[in-house]
Amino acid sequence: MQYGMIIDLERCVGCHACTIACRAEWEVPVPYQRNWVKRLGPTMTDDGMASTYYPGLCNHCDKPPCVDECPAEPVEMTFTDYKTGKTKTMEVAATWKDPFDGSVQVDKERCLGCGACADACPYGARYVNPDLADDNSEGKVDKCTYCKPRVEAGLTPACVQTCIADARIFGDLADPNSEVSQYVKKGAKGLEPKGGHLGTNSRYYGNKKDMGLLFADYTPKMADMGSVKRRAMMASMVKPAMRKAKDMGILGLAGVMLVKGLSDNEDSK
Amino acid sequence: MAFNLTRRKFLQTASLAAAAVPLSKVVSATTGVTKAPLVAKGTNGDKTVVGGICEMCFWRCQLVGKVRDGRLMKLEGNPKSIDNGTAICARGNAGVQLLYDVDRLKYPMKNVGERGAPKWKRISWQEALDECGSKLKSTVDQYGAQGICVFPHGASAKYPMHYFERAVGTHNVSEASFFQCRGIRDTAYVATIGKAPGEKVDMPNTKVLFFIGDHLGENIHVSHIKAYIQGLQNGAKLIVADPRFSASAAKADIWVQIKPGTDTAYMLAIMNYLVKNNKYDKAFVENHTEGFEEFSAAISEWTLEKAAKECDITAEQIKEVAEMLAANAPNVAIHPGRHVSWHGNDFQRQRALACLTGILGAYYVKGGWVPAKGPKVGGVSWAKEDHGHKYNLNYNHEEDAKVYPYNPPGTPTELIRDCAISGKPYPIKSCVVWGQNPMQTIPGQEKMKDLFRAMDFIMCVDVMPTDVTMWADILLPESSYLERYDFIKTGTQWDLSKEHQQYISARMPLVPAMFERKDQIYITNEIAKRMGHEAKIPVKTIEEMVDQNLATAELSIEKLKAEDGIHIQPGKDPYGIPEDFMVRLFNEDIEDAGHPGAPTYKPVPQPPKGFARLLYGRAPVHTFNRSQNNVWLHNAMPDNPVWLNDQVAANLGLIDGDVVGFVNSDGVESRTTTTVKVTPGIRKDCVYMYHGYGSANPLLTIGVGAGVDDQSLITNLAIDPETGCNGMRNNFVKLIKDGKVLDIPA
Repeated sequence: MQYGMIIDLERCVGCHACTIACRAEWEVPVPYQRNWVKRLGPTMTDDGMASTYYPGLCNHCDKPPCVDECPAEPVEMTFTDYKTGKTKTMEVAATWKDPFDGSVQVDKERCLGCGACADACPYGARYVNPDLADDNSEGKVDKCTYCKPRVEAGLTPACVQTCIADARIFGDLADPNSEVSQYVKKGAKGLEPKGGHLGTNSRYYGNKKDMGLLFADYTPKMADMGSVKRRAMMASMVKPAMRKAKDMGILGLAGVMLVKGLSDNEDSK
Repeated sequence: MAFNLTRRKFLQTASLAAAAVPLSKVVSATTGVTKAPLVAKGTNGDKTVVGGICEMCFWRCQLVGKVRDGRLMKLEGNPKSIDNGTAICARGNAGVQLLYDVDRLKYPMKNVGERGAPKWKRISWQEALDECGSKLKSTVDQYGAQGICVFPHGASAKYPMHYFERAVGTHNVSEASFFQCRGIRDTAYVATIGKAPGEKVDMPNTKVLFFIGDHLGENIHVSHIKAYIQGLQNGAKLIVADPRFSASAAKADIWVQIKPGTDTAYMLAIMNYLVKNNKYDKAFVENHTEGFEEFSAAISEWTLEKAAKECDITAEQIKEVAEMLAANAPNVAIHPGRHVSWHGNDFQRQRALACLTGILGAYYVKGGWVPAKGPKVGGVSWAKEDHGHKYNLNYNHEEDAKVYPYNPPGTPTELIRDCAISGKPYPIKSCVVWGQNPMQTIPGQEKMKDLFRAMDFIMCVDVMPTDVTMWADILLPESSYLERYDFIKTGTQWDLSKEHQQYISARMPLVPAMFERKDQIYITNEIAKRMGHEAKIPVKTIEEMVDQNLATAELSIEKLKAEDGIHIQPGKDPYGIPEDFMVRLFNEDIEDAGHPGAPTYKPVPQPPKGFARLLYGRAPVHTFNRSQNNVWLHNAMPDNPVWLNDQVAANLGLIDGDVVGFVNSDGVESRTTTTVKVTPGIRKDCVYMYHGYGSANPLLTIGVGAGVDDQSLITNLAIDPETGCNGMRNNFVKLIKDGKVLDIPA
């Protein structure tokens, strides 16, 4: 099974219902977001005047660059396929790709809030929620889960349920008969980054003009993994130290600022 | 700054409800260590409450609420709905943030400062109602019922509006939804086909969609969008006439980049072409129209070439559109529009739309204009009384005729304002504002202030401290659409080709009203008692009103609740033209009233040198000026960038994101600034921005000063001569950058 989502740009009217429903469902605080809608154009393209939308969300990549960068202490976790009851045990950090449904998930209990995964994502699909700060972190990373808890309860993702134009289609890309697979056969494509292939599972379908505009404007670059790794490394070193320092009550203002500076999320400025 | 404001506001809003204690602050008493944060649970386990009817806009989708520990967490479309289904738009979803907006009105307030610069003092309902009752009564005693003017809007304003019109007896009621919006459309169609058209085009089953300025996609009404998208998916061609590459133009097969104000000339040329080339529906014209001869003679001057010149488009494109319509007639959807008070020549344009539909034979046929057959419910309200014409400002006593013969219900706004400000022909001394924000719905803000300055008493009822509330003497907090009963929504399935079904649903509260907010029945009845109209009160409570209205359909609130909020019953086939249906292509009554009997184009004023025409429209995440303070919606579209043609921008040295203000041709400057959106998708002679931004009331802590208030720049008060409605697109602006006024190149 590989969960995937199609955004049909021929249907999408750019109304933002998806983004607001997501806020309500998952208590996503302003100004952060699990998903977004950007309006493109109007601009002149080779195919004429064009304007369309970029409704973005986590791509739940086949090779998610975010997962590898998590500096949290790996632990053994047992995953269950909610459909068959099958289990699989793997060693994972605080974020992983689910072995059964292919979605990329986060364990907020163990997240250090360092933001390395957010930096590693070329799409900006993750944010650190500072409201969820605790003694282990300056916040917790949050992202689209493809509404895994809703889906496993038999519902559709909140964004899909509220889409006024039925422009969002959710399903199993591993099933060739699924509606999402039919869209892929018709030409639905993911926004793969320049110089990389991540295996994006959120994909776009539209006419040549609109797809051309979307891919011209929003094909991302791969993240600078050097700086991501430095941040992850610093987080793995500093966080336990901060925890210890706080317990001892000796962390001064300068120390707090150092830690804060290291874990600042540039995307959220 | 905007970020900080938004952020603080969000936290305030969140903490209003008990469930939202910041979890990171929950510290274990024993260890002193903060427990790791809890993951948001999602709403699947929450209690579902049925009966919501949205009023973030006026399409009114059917909702359910997800309630956790007494707090409304989320709104969703009612799964039983055959209208919006489980879908609701961004605004609908953000209703939660209106409900818990910390800026909402909470208690009755008295202005102990100045009008326009208020200082608010909390008072009791008793005191507030006594004050409203005695002041309004004193106006009636001294000046007569006509001494009260009313500016209502929305579902909750209907009952009080009827009270003041019917029981008290004033004609001086002006609804923005008519006089600054769709009233012209309705009366023009009534004068042509005998019915208001709504937006009843059978889009899912049409072959061609024809839009004049409709910008579906920026203008969002859920089931309407569903119908539109279904039509496109089914292969319909889309023709969009708009000076701007709108959301609809972006999906169009033909974009007609028409010069603003010339739409009527465009349609006259299409119709003339169809007539001259025998491409109209002769059988329909024979059986269902009147005045074809006069009509075709009157429009015969409109050759393709003449219209091409006037509209600044090509004759070939007009012909292409006409041919496309003719080839697909009668299965063509000529959209009647919605907000149509544009240029002061709008009645004639709306007549042209209705006539074009007629000569294409596109009434009551698949894909044409088809009124669905909905169910009937009651309409209990104040009993109608005849108050005569004596104090009707829209009545010319010397000529024994109306001043504006095709006015929508109520009295044209400018007649009321002119009378109130001048005191002639009689004094108007009290003003009731209920759910409307006339400062931002009606053009001419200084004139509106002059009206308020002339009043002895002003009361406002609203949920939010909108700009107009700054002028109130008494300000009353109303329960929102999520906290009260009232509106009954009826209709049919949106795709007329599907199984014919009807639905009836009534608004029911999803959560109880907080603070001291009250519903419109309570407030109106209490004022009526104090004005001596207790005996005329039609219902004691809002539940009683809803139950009586439902009883017509053999339903009740209890029955609806048992049916998950929506009653569904078999419907009727809407297709098939009534035998006596007539399209008055030439209408001699209009001519008798002194206006052209055939649709006629009247040119509109052009921008003075150095100015561009100011156009405005809808943002998909906002409803007029009602939602800019909503933290979620504000975050989605915090301001209203001004669309500027790329060549004009290059000439002015402006780039995307530059911050600009405005000055109009009357010398009025915008209070705030916005950013420039540089695009080839707008004509050079106009600029465009979303309507409703730039509120002036500091009590709107998020919406205040966000973006530019387009209405503040609309000071040229064009009047549509047949209807008395305002035209708001004959206003011209220059941009101001860094204090320097920039001339727009011709």
